[in-house]
Amino acid sequence: MIDIAAQLVPKTMWNAPNNSTELWTRIVLALLVGIALFVGLLNAPIQLRKPIIFTVTFVSGLFYVLFWLYPAPINRQPSDGPRNTFEALSFWISDSQGVIADLTNIIASFLIGLGIYSLMRVHIGKIKKQQRDWEFSVVLVSSMVLMVIFGYVDFYMRLQPGNSKMAGSGYVGWTFWQFGKDLLFNGLLQNMDAGMFSIVAFYILSAAYRAFRARSIEATILLLTALVVMLSLMGLVEFYWAQGVDAMHLSNNFKLDNIARWLRGNFQTPAIRGIDFGVGIGLLAMGLRLWLNLDKTGSDA
Amino acid sequence: MATNDPIVKKDFAEALQSVPKPVLYLVLFLFAGLPLFFPVKLPNKPIDASIDCFAQLMSLPEGSKVLIASDWTNSTRGESMGQMEALLRILMRKKIKFVVYTVADPQAPEVARFTIRKVAAEEAKAGGYGYKPFQDYLVLGYYPNAEGTTTAINNKFLSICEGKKDYPEDSPPMDVLRSPVLQGVKSVADFKDLVLVTASSTNTVVIERVTKVPLIFMVTGVMVPENTTYYASGQLKGLCGGVKGVYDLETLMEYGLNVDGPHKITSDKYSEVIPGFPGKQNEGKGTAYYPSLHFALFLLIIAVVAGNVGMILAKRRAG
Repeated sequence: MIDIAAQLVPKTMWNAPNNSTELWTRIVLALLVGIALFVGLLNAPIQLRKPIIFTVTFVSGLFYVLFWLYPAPINRQPSDGPRNTFEALSFWISDSQGVIADLTNIIASFLIGLGIYSLMRVHIGKIKKQQRDWEFSVVLVSSMVLMVIFGYVDFYMRLQPGNSKMAGSGYVGWTFWQFGKDLLFNGLLQNMDAGMFSIVAFYILSAAYRAFRARSIEATILLLTALVVMLSLMGLVEFYWAQGVDAMHLSNNFKLDNIARWLRGNFQTPAIRGIDFGVGIGLLAMGLRLWLNLDKTGSDA
Repeated sequence: MATNDPIVKKDFAEALQSVPKPVLYLVLFLFAGLPLFFPVKLPNKPIDASIDCFAQLMSLPEGSKVLIASDWTNSTRGESMGQMEALLRILMRKKIKFVVYTVADPQAPEVARFTIRKVAAEEAKAGGYGYKPFQDYLVLGYYPNAEGTTTAINNKFLSICEGKKDYPEDSPPMDVLRSPVLQGVKSVADFKDLVLVTASSTNTVVIERVTKVPLIFMVTGVMVPENTTYYASGQLKGLCGGVKGVYDLETLMEYGLNVDGPHKITSDKYSEVIPGFPGKQNEGKGTAYYPSLHFALFLLIIAVVAGNVGMILAKRRAG
């Protein structure tokens, strides 16, 4: 029997003892409410859709606003209970956050499912109509189907008693399905992933060579700063530079790592902090607009 | 159709400014690729952020517990896998149990499991303690909603473990709450550190939401400037950035901090001696890839200087 809601300390309104009637009643009720909501939303009149979206957005945002701003229980023990309404709300918010997080994870999982459905619909349609580059769609769909089949068969086999050694790295007990999954996931997908990312290095070199020119005073300062920081990351250069500084009896401040540290501490970090501060204020404004439905787009504008 | 246009020969300044892309790509391929086949050990002076990271990890008492956010996949394995391997080597040698979770990518838990199994097998082969899944470490899996999950971790850690299962050896999957790793864990504060190994924006998600446990970040090279702000403000107890960070960690694991010897590494911040793990397998991806980074940076500098020299020469000639 699956242990649903196995963690019951502290007992909250969101959980119940394992396999109890209370737990199953709650599950059935939640399912019924969910189905009713689903059917209700599907049949909602078009003019009600915006108010529904606004209400859901506002309530969801309000929960997290309260979570961050409302006083939270301090050093709460499992036996502690609220003494008044003020504390009851505080306890409720604290207990509910995990459930809300689970809910958001479920919604995000549905979004992944929606993405897969959309991708398959577009590409299967393309293959059926033999549109331009439909061959690539065949590769995409077949890759996805193969990965799902091999992934699930491998997963199912590992769940069987006595098969846990399959998880080891020594190919112990591996069958066609484990080798197939390993080839697809570790052999192909992961290496293509790494290959795609490594191409960036070539673009960076080409772009830096063509665009990184000292055309103005600002660009020259940027160029020199970047050169110092890059040189400080090169162990060999840093080592011999330090030897040179020591040989000439110059101050340690002239060592590359110290110059780079000074640049980072006095220019780079404050500048990024300033940018982050601006971005933060912008995000707050954007969040408020979304939360309070102040964002008017399209026909609303 | 043939034309009689004369072939214009580029002068030196123009040639410096217009090296063809294929030539640049080929030279980079050689500069970055050859050191992988002909390994060289380059001198290294670990930076403060890496030293803090090492010192914080080495200060963990044996038998304590650490939470790891593994938010990377093989697209950044040059950096992230090296960081993860160095981290796991330290934790396994100090017999520290750990819990791994992911909020960035569905592939990440599988990649983390692969890395853990690999390092555990290496350590067991070298005579160390062989880490066993479920007994010594847990992989909680992937949580699609980073913000909600991370808030829940800080608010009530066990709520993210409810209903999760992991695979003990020779046994069907079991509820993670029954694992010895989670015994005595009631809150995220029961972990000594939260170590984030990331190649994505989960760094800000963690720093905004997790307040009850010391944080250590292991990030890719491009993320270092952004994360240096958090390190400088004291929000991070350590920062390991890019291949250089991995090489720093591996160097410190080999030679220790303030340990007398020909390769003595010192720091203004630490007066105590922090021994590493001399004689053990400390070299990993950092040692292997640092020469590639080194020579690629050298090429980048040469390319930028050449382009600028060409531009200056061309300007002078034009008056």
